[in-house]
Amino acid sequence: MIDSLCDQARKEDITVACLYCDFLAQQEQTVTSMMGAILKQLVGGVDIPIYLREAFQEGKKEIGGRRLSLEDLVGMLRRAIASLGKVFICIDALDEYLPKDLPELLESLRDIVRQSPGTRVFLTGRPHVGGTIQKYFTGAVVIPISPNTDDIRSYLEMKLDRDSEPEAMDSGLRADIVKVILDKMSDMCVRASCLSILSMMYTYENYV
Amino acid sequence: MAHTTNAHSFKFGDGNANCGIITDSFNTHTTVYKSDEHAKIMPWLSPLEPSNRHQGVRTSRFKGVGDWLLETSEFREWRDGAADKAVLFCSGNPGVGKTYLR
Repeated sequence: MIDSLCDQARKEDITVACLYCDFLAQQEQTVTSMMGAILKQLVGGVDIPIYLREAFQEGKKEIGGRRLSLEDLVGMLRRAIASLGKVFICIDALDEYLPKDLPELLESLRDIVRQSPGTRVFLTGRPHVGGTIQKYFTGAVVIPISPNTDDIRSYLEMKLDRDSEPEAMDSGLRADIVKVILDKMSDMCVRASCLSILSMMYTYENYV
Repeated sequence: MAHTTNAHSFKFGDGNANCGIITDSFNTHTTVYKSDEHAKIMPWLSPLEPSNRHQGVRTSRFKGVGDWLLETSEFREWRDGAADKAVLFCSGNPGVGKTYLR
């Protein structure tokens, strides 16, 4: 599957923008800074588009350097996406985003998708944000992530292989560790699965 | 994008408490820009540095984990489908893996 995706990425022009929400950074994760961060990633690897250069010069005229409005940013995102191929926008942990700002964030994403229909948005979060997401994207595809025993087992085996004190380990202890963790920590890989996809999407870029 | 950040900032905790350069992705500004102009305009666009965060996720992630998701019809439908399927939402309760793997 990975090979086939990479093959696809080689043929197509794909750009990925990833954002991560964090409880500890809620204050700086405003809707405008989130949209700005998407735009930043889309244009970060190419020459600065003229409209962006002009807006920057314009903003500099004001004390402190006025930043772009949300409306300006959404408009520029449309232009940036139009000049790229397919764009994937990934936002991780929406449940950690400031709840009062979430509707505006989703609304902006909806504007982007409406203006640039080829755009794909990948979101992760705890189930309770699902209702809000579906309010803005009624056709959203939802995949419930449940613990995957194979993922956990292979991760544990890798960690045990790299254990810094192998002399303290024997096969009995090793089996016990795996068993206990599999029994009790079955939620461990919920987010890992999501992150894996984000990383997966990111590999696209390296082939473009 | 993949090359705009400084790899030295992304050593995540591997149990070595003395490594000293474990960074919080939200206050790290070691981004290397494509040009001087990028260096001026990119921070103006947004103070967020998600590329740094992503590098941390990449380096602490374990190969193969979550690959099953790529095989699902939902994922393929989203990736290749029509505009009304533009959004894919992976929903799950947090486990200890969230913090651990980041």
